[in-house]
Amino acid sequence: MLLNGVRFAAIARARGGRIKEMEQTMAVSLRESLQLVSDPENLDGSVDEVFQMMLGVTCKRVSGPRTEEPESVTAVVGFGGALSGACVFKCGSMAARKIAAHMTGMEFEEIDDVVKDGIGEICNMLAGAWKGKVPNLAANCGLSVPAVITGSNYHLHVQAPEFQLHHAYQFEDACFDVTIVCDGLQ
Amino acid sequence: MSEIRALIVDDSSVMRKIIERSLRQAGVNLSVVYEAGSGTDALELLKTKDVDLILSDINMPSMDGLEFLRQIRAQNLAVGVPVVMITTESSEEHVKQAIQAGARGYIRKPFTAEQVKERVLPLVNAA
Repeated sequence: MLLNGVRFAAIARARGGRIKEMEQTMAVSLRESLQLVSDPENLDGSVDEVFQMMLGVTCKRVSGPRTEEPESVTAVVGFGGALSGACVFKCGSMAARKIAAHMTGMEFEEIDDVVKDGIGEICNMLAGAWKGKVPNLAANCGLSVPAVITGSNYHLHVQAPEFQLHHAYQFEDACFDVTIVCDGLQ
Repeated sequence: MSEIRALIVDDSSVMRKIIERSLRQAGVNLSVVYEAGSGTDALELLKTKDVDLILSDINMPSMDGLEFLRQIRAQNLAVGVPVVMITTESSEEHVKQAIQAGARGYIRKPFTAEQVKERVLPLVNAA
């Protein structure tokens, strides 16, 4: 439900501008670029870029399941236009507070509005950096404003995506997951 | 450098603080910083406050940054005040649209304080 909401917002944003006209002319070349669009290195590069520039930290990609914390934060930014789908950022409470602390220079005892806002903005920048790595996508794909969910024991389910990238990363002792879901590519 | 009254427009309060911090790190002598969470709020603010510099996001609810730019020109607000877009949208098309709408600079998120210095300081010094 939420994923659809942010996707529709991104589609509306894309169509509000000149993207709809451009997506028609770019459609063929974007589908032909599927290998480039789904290149896992683009996601790693985007994470590096955002975390180094905005937090001053270096992330390493990790494998294996992340230890689930009782409370987690998930931010979703929808893609619309030539590519429809979403960028999903998920982390535990400790990692969320640590990321917000690096961004603001403040300390956080709980997941308050500032922490949620910071995680939403990280997801927004990741989505922008990721689509910016594919020239045809940068101009022909709109982004929704971020939606942020907090809670426990929830799962995000996407039915039969065209492709999905799911990577886990770590900086200091904080872990987080980034997922790119593409459920339509023109 | 004379004192600068800046308006920062971004729907993220965290990002507004980061932009303010980057301006200070860049050596911009800020006397006052006004904040707005959307283009609509920023337009209302400009009807009552004078500013010397505007930094605006593009993707925002209610009124996006490009429409905000068009509206300040259409409503004759902040005449001659440089506007710099700070946004995740990085394509040449977005830059072109922003420049056509009246932006004097464009910074892509994520950004460094050094990039803010390079793009904003010349505008502030020329004012």
